[in-house]
Amino acid sequence: MVDQALLSLAKFLPEITLAITFCLALLVGVIFRSRPRLSMWVALLGVVVSIALTIREMGITESVFSGMIAVDPFATFFKLIVGSSAIFIFLFSLYSAEVLSTMKRLVEYSSLLVAMTLGMYLMVGATNLLMMVLSIELTGLSSYVLAGYTKEASDSSEASLKYIIYGALSTGLMLYGISILFGLTGGAMDIYAINRALVTSPVNPIALLVASLLIIAGLGYKISAVPFHFWTPDVYEGAPITITAFLSVASKAAGFAMLIRFFKIAFIDSSAVGLPAGIWITLQGFEWNKIIAILSVLTMTLGNLVAVWQNNLKRLLAYSSIAHAGYMLMGLAILSDKGIAAVLIYFVVYMFMNLGAFYVVMLVSNKTGSEDIDSYKGLGFRSPFIGVSMVIFFISLAGLPPTAGFIGKLFIFASLLDAKWIWLAVVGAINSVISLYYYVRVVRNMFLRDPDENSGPLKFSVPEIVLLLLLVVPTLLFGLYYSPIVDFANASARMLGVH
Amino acid sequence: MLESYVPIFVMIAGGVIFGVVMVKLNEWFGPHRPNDEKLSTYESGMEPIRSARERFSVKFYMVAMLFILFDIEVVFLYPWAVSFKQLGLGGFVTMAVFIFVLFLGYFYVWRKGALEWD
Repeated sequence: MVDQALLSLAKFLPEITLAITFCLALLVGVIFRSRPRLSMWVALLGVVVSIALTIREMGITESVFSGMIAVDPFATFFKLIVGSSAIFIFLFSLYSAEVLSTMKRLVEYSSLLVAMTLGMYLMVGATNLLMMVLSIELTGLSSYVLAGYTKEASDSSEASLKYIIYGALSTGLMLYGISILFGLTGGAMDIYAINRALVTSPVNPIALLVASLLIIAGLGYKISAVPFHFWTPDVYEGAPITITAFLSVASKAAGFAMLIRFFKIAFIDSSAVGLPAGIWITLQGFEWNKIIAILSVLTMTLGNLVAVWQNNLKRLLAYSSIAHAGYMLMGLAILSDKGIAAVLIYFVVYMFMNLGAFYVVMLVSNKTGSEDIDSYKGLGFRSPFIGVSMVIFFISLAGLPPTAGFIGKLFIFASLLDAKWIWLAVVGAINSVISLYYYVRVVRNMFLRDPDENSGPLKFSVPEIVLLLLLVVPTLLFGLYYSPIVDFANASARMLGVH
Repeated sequence: MLESYVPIFVMIAGGVIFGVVMVKLNEWFGPHRPNDEKLSTYESGMEPIRSARERFSVKFYMVAMLFILFDIEVVFLYPWAVSFKQLGLGGFVTMAVFIFVLFLGYFYVWRKGALEWD
């Protein structure tokens, strides 16, 4: 057993790196107390190394630690998404006035960010119910603390408290669902074993429905799907912007990875024969993809409709990120590898555009101290480059060409039409139109309104501009030259044990 | 289906009745001769100084929390120590990692000043 564990360790290097980085960041932080930035650099370096090790794992399909975790292209893809957004967040933090105002807690900030990244690395690969819960908790506990990082601000403490209460409740619900599933399948913890048990001996469909709804409640909370989204606006508004950006991209990516893996492996009819390649069907008498489709309609409609009324940009982006979760859920409802690949493409695109939008909000609030839409009046004239970048991100978020957001939406809708889900595609298209309204509202404030009288031009430093370029360029580039991400996503849609 | 639970309900009812009856019997038949000494707070024979209804410093919670944390983690050492020979080198390395992480936490707590009382 020890030999097996050692063999598994060799496939577990990115996670080990992160675990060591967490320890090192803490150690460095408490030893060199006069230089808190040092631990942030250590953490950043650790995440970079873990990404390098993840890239080396590309193409491997293996199960490690006796079926606890899968190392497969699907997990590797999401690890890259999570890891690269962690790097972006560390770089943002170097310029965030909010984070740097509490220098003496920077050690905890950087080490907890690493711990959260580690939790997400585990989430994307977990193939055992226990591992799923543990990794969700690791991610959750770190993010509760980080959401309340600027604890001097009362809304940050409020965000943290709300987050932890909702988190505890939804984990409880999920555990309850897992226990029902555990009982139904005669004590299976491994998601492959669950699938085998469900296929060979069909169970009471109502009980299975209840169990899966409870599990959706736990995972839906992570991806902020309606009706489990209530924490999202408050937490996104109260948490430091860097953390909000991380939650909206990485946390959502990890949640989606777990949701897709769990449903695709546990709840499909793996004994079905004669299906075309890349298409699967649900268990007999249990069409969970209908539930996902309903959730996605609710999620995008509510997210978009409520975003229209928001005046705080962080809240607006929170609702917009809820809506984006809805678009991505459509990809899972289709039950085809094409749909999954479309979700993966969407995530690459979403990472760049959403991080970019939050980064601009951070830069502006560094200077003006406000996240209100009114403080963006005339931003296009006060700082043309920032203004134009924000327009690019918003056009991309709305899904218009020639930006990457269009490509993301295009592939989702294409796979929907392929699978004859016309009504869902129509709902998605209507939602995209609604979303255009509130994005353009901000753009109108930036370019068609004059700035307040006593507000001069905003100046940003060169590294800040370079970092912004790192997000703007891919957002534009992937809108025109998208075949690399499409190929990468298609190759990454493969999961351990699914043919 | 519920019939199989009848013995349990009988057991619960029996427990409640027995407890209530014993306490009430004591109250009804026992002698009551209170005096000042008897009614004062029992502090292992010491004279009580003042009311116990006071606010405690948050430092107590910190120490209690740290104690529980380290105490529970150290308990893991016992099963390892008992089966040290069977677990062999693998067990030793695992435990060394565990103790390293434990010490890291201890070091962090110490340097952050959580163990200082003032």
